[in-house]
Amino acid sequence: MIFVTVGMHYQGFERLIKMMDEIALELDEKVVMQIGHTKYEPINADWFRFIKKDEVIKDLINKSRLIIAHGGAGTILTILLERKPMIIVPRLKKFEEHFDDQQIELAEVLVNFNGVSVIYDVDYLKEEITRLGKNTNIHFEIRADLIHYLRRTVGE
Amino acid sequence: MKIALVCSHGGHLTEMLRLIEAFEGQDVFFVTYISPRTEHLSYRNYLIKNIGTNPFRMMVCLFKTISIFGNEKPDCVLSTGSEIAIPAMLLAKVIGIRTIFIESWCRISTKSFTGRILYYIADEFLVQWPQMLKVYGKKARFEGAVI
Repeated sequence: MIFVTVGMHYQGFERLIKMMDEIALELDEKVVMQIGHTKYEPINADWFRFIKKDEVIKDLINKSRLIIAHGGAGTILTILLERKPMIIVPRLKKFEEHFDDQQIELAEVLVNFNGVSVIYDVDYLKEEITRLGKNTNIHFEIRADLIHYLRRTVGE
Repeated sequence: MKIALVCSHGGHLTEMLRLIEAFEGQDVFFVTYISPRTEHLSYRNYLIKNIGTNPFRMMVCLFKTISIFGNEKPDCVLSTGSEIAIPAMLLAKVIGIRTIFIESWCRISTKSFTGRILYYIADEFLVQWPQMLKVYGKKARFEGAVI
């Protein structure tokens, strides 16, 4: 299964959802999409707008072999914590997908890790889905030092 | 200690929920935006209408925060962003409550709108990438990240 997720952002992500709907038709694999505020409604894949419980998203991520995600911090954080390979498609200002191009910042850093790809032009998305085989593992060291720091500082 | 966790409802909330185990044993409550997701938040919470870029709603949010803090009397206000933290931290500063602001994990080379303002207000200003120390200045500190 492939899970596509575009987070809670108030703008839609037409470019990604339309392209994934086209690709879903050609794939031999189930595609599920969380489309947020995107106007286009997929025909070839299961989809929903938002979910009420975070656990449902985590469960979908766990069941998938690959996640295709917008470049939001929360979305990417959740996928990394579940240790799943992902293709990040940053929302771009020029397509009215975000109010700025901040999603590129995180994508540019994470592209250096095994199991993370970044696609800016959705015309290359299908090729990348095929290229990322079924056994891609993600290599990202989880440290979470901030949690330990806050426990100390707030407990004082 | 009673801690007000103030953040918007998307990625900023995901970061806060990731950090929440740090506050085990403390009395915490959320101030966040109304959304299908926060309706089912499993922590005590106050929900506010999304401010976005609307200055009028920012004022409404400030008055709501005054009423919430008056009722709850927190010892500390902690935020992972975004703009919902601006009225909360301004208020906390005025009434002398300790404030901790954590810039989002997605900020690696540029400042957020909220961070730009709260750098001058928060008692503690934390960034999640060492590169950001230079971007902000002396007051910013790096103590690790959510991941």
